[in-house]
Amino acid sequence: MIWTTWRQLRTQAWVTAVALGALGVALLVSGLSLARSYSSLGLATCGHSCSQAVAAFQAAAGTGLNGVLQTFAGLIVIVVPPLLGVFWGAPLVARELEAGTHRVAWTQSVTRDRWLATKLAVVGASAAGAAGLLSWAVTAWAHHVDTIDAERVAPSVFAARGVVPVAYALFAFVLGVTLGLMIRRTVPAMAATLGIYAALLFTMTQWVRRVLVAPVTLTRALDVEHLGGIGIVPGGTMTIDANTDDLHGWVLSSRVLLPGGQLFHPAVSSTQCGPDTSIDACRQWLTSQHLVQQVLYQPESRFWTLQWHEAGIFAALAVLLAAFCFWWVRRVA
Amino acid sequence: MTSTVLKAGGLTKRYGRRTALADCTLTLPAGRVVGLVGPNGAGKTTLLHLAVGLLAPSAGTIEVLGRRPAADADQLARVGFVAQDAPVYAALTVGDHLRLGAHTNPRWDQRLASERVRALRLDPAQKAGRLSGGQRAQLALTLAIAKRPDLLVLDEPVASLDPLARREFLQGLMAFIAEHDASVILSSHLVSDLERVCDHLVVLVDSHVRVAGDVDDLLAAHHRLVAPRAAAAELPPGLEVIEQSHTDRQSTLVVRGDAPADPAVVVEQIGLEDLVLAYLSQGAATPDPVLEVTR
Repeated sequence: MIWTTWRQLRTQAWVTAVALGALGVALLVSGLSLARSYSSLGLATCGHSCSQAVAAFQAAAGTGLNGVLQTFAGLIVIVVPPLLGVFWGAPLVARELEAGTHRVAWTQSVTRDRWLATKLAVVGASAAGAAGLLSWAVTAWAHHVDTIDAERVAPSVFAARGVVPVAYALFAFVLGVTLGLMIRRTVPAMAATLGIYAALLFTMTQWVRRVLVAPVTLTRALDVEHLGGIGIVPGGTMTIDANTDDLHGWVLSSRVLLPGGQLFHPAVSSTQCGPDTSIDACRQWLTSQHLVQQVLYQPESRFWTLQWHEAGIFAALAVLLAAFCFWWVRRVA
Repeated sequence: MTSTVLKAGGLTKRYGRRTALADCTLTLPAGRVVGLVGPNGAGKTTLLHLAVGLLAPSAGTIEVLGRRPAADADQLARVGFVAQDAPVYAALTVGDHLRLGAHTNPRWDQRLASERVRALRLDPAQKAGRLSGGQRAQLALTLAIAKRPDLLVLDEPVASLDPLARREFLQGLMAFIAEHDASVILSSHLVSDLERVCDHLVVLVDSHVRVAGDVDDLLAAHHRLVAPRAAAAELPPGLEVIEQSHTDRQSTLVVRGDAPADPAVVVEQIGLEDLVLAYLSQGAATPDPVLEVTR
């Protein structure tokens, strides 16, 4: 049964292996060059405090092969799991049902349960392995860049690092198998897999991940000298954009409050802070208000906690879907 | 080995509101070639799928070789199956199919499989998707018999084959039956195919079993009577009329039971095909042609 499963996966497995191998070589070449820049610029000892070296490193990381990978490596890690779901998962059973070959498979001396278990285990482990290898390679390649940027919890980076891609791949694969089993046609099952996966990942990123672990609330005196910006609508109200660049992590919200806790958005006053007053006078006036900045964020240190939580959720969903498959496969003729 | 290869009691299969097989009670003896005949949509495929465990019954019971179909790997190993249209893996080669069989069947007979492939002049490196219909059916049959089943189930194995491929397929089947002590159940909507190979017959019409028995017994028990209308109206009791047609003066009847001694009645032997046709027309609510007759 294992041989049969492998034999049927062979073509897809080769295509994936060749593509991953090529990407691996590019990551290795680029990764070595980044590591050389990192050590020659002395960044290992000064972290992100030495701004000139950081700028030089970021320039090196953004040019040539490094730059291309900077743009695409993360994207590849994000699209590979749904592709595995679409091209490995959805056809796995749907193609058999479509061609009628399930009647061949299920009348050999292998029970239907074992047939499904072997398929799920062999192909699922391969999918998880491929995604894991890819994520590991990209995470290792991006190590120095991530150390300097310190924003691995930001949505654009988070899904392309660590263990979540493995869980995504596992989930996408089992989702594909499930839909293939229910829809019984390969192409519609592929489309449904892509649609449902995208919707779920969007939900996760947009609404669930931010509260997966209760975010940190930081309340501190507003630093009037380093504002993100002051917005003035003449004759209207004034909004202050507090600076959050010094906080390493994923900022969910940042508000400026009065000492009493009310939101600060005063009417524009031409005498205190307005189009005609100097910026210094404006700052002086703001200082006199004793304003408070309240930030809700997931700090960079939460990266692994969030990774394991999210990976756990998708792995659990994959297990539930797999159990459903075992129940459903008995109903198919 | 049990003397019964299949035993069904009140076997029923429903798909939603549609009943595909109704209250089927049937006992098939072992060591026979059982022909399952009936028009398209009569429930033949449903009955065979129930027998190999692809389907579960909605009601009633079915036992094959004394056990529930597809109960476990051991039961699966004892039953070989070729589904309708002989599906094969289009992307796999002929050789891959034999390896698939070898990897998934503990009783696999590699020598038998290789010899058959050689005799059929199939190229082991050829993709199964590029085989002709006849070759595909032969490959599917090879896969089913090389697992050395005690029971071989074939669903319309020759329906889509041309006459030559049909003859070759049935010859291969007969050779296997002659050599190995296996029971066979095969379905067809063509009586002429079954006549050549079957020694037991089941007629299925409108999801009901209409008649079942050994071919010789069935032929011995049925007669065609040609008689004047008056004589035909006074047949002795105990004679079951299966089919009748009348002209102004004369009646033609197909009956089951002992032939009457009345000298006015001409008793003729009936062929298997006519016998089956009689049962089929008896069951037909509408006079549509229900059975395709080919020679």
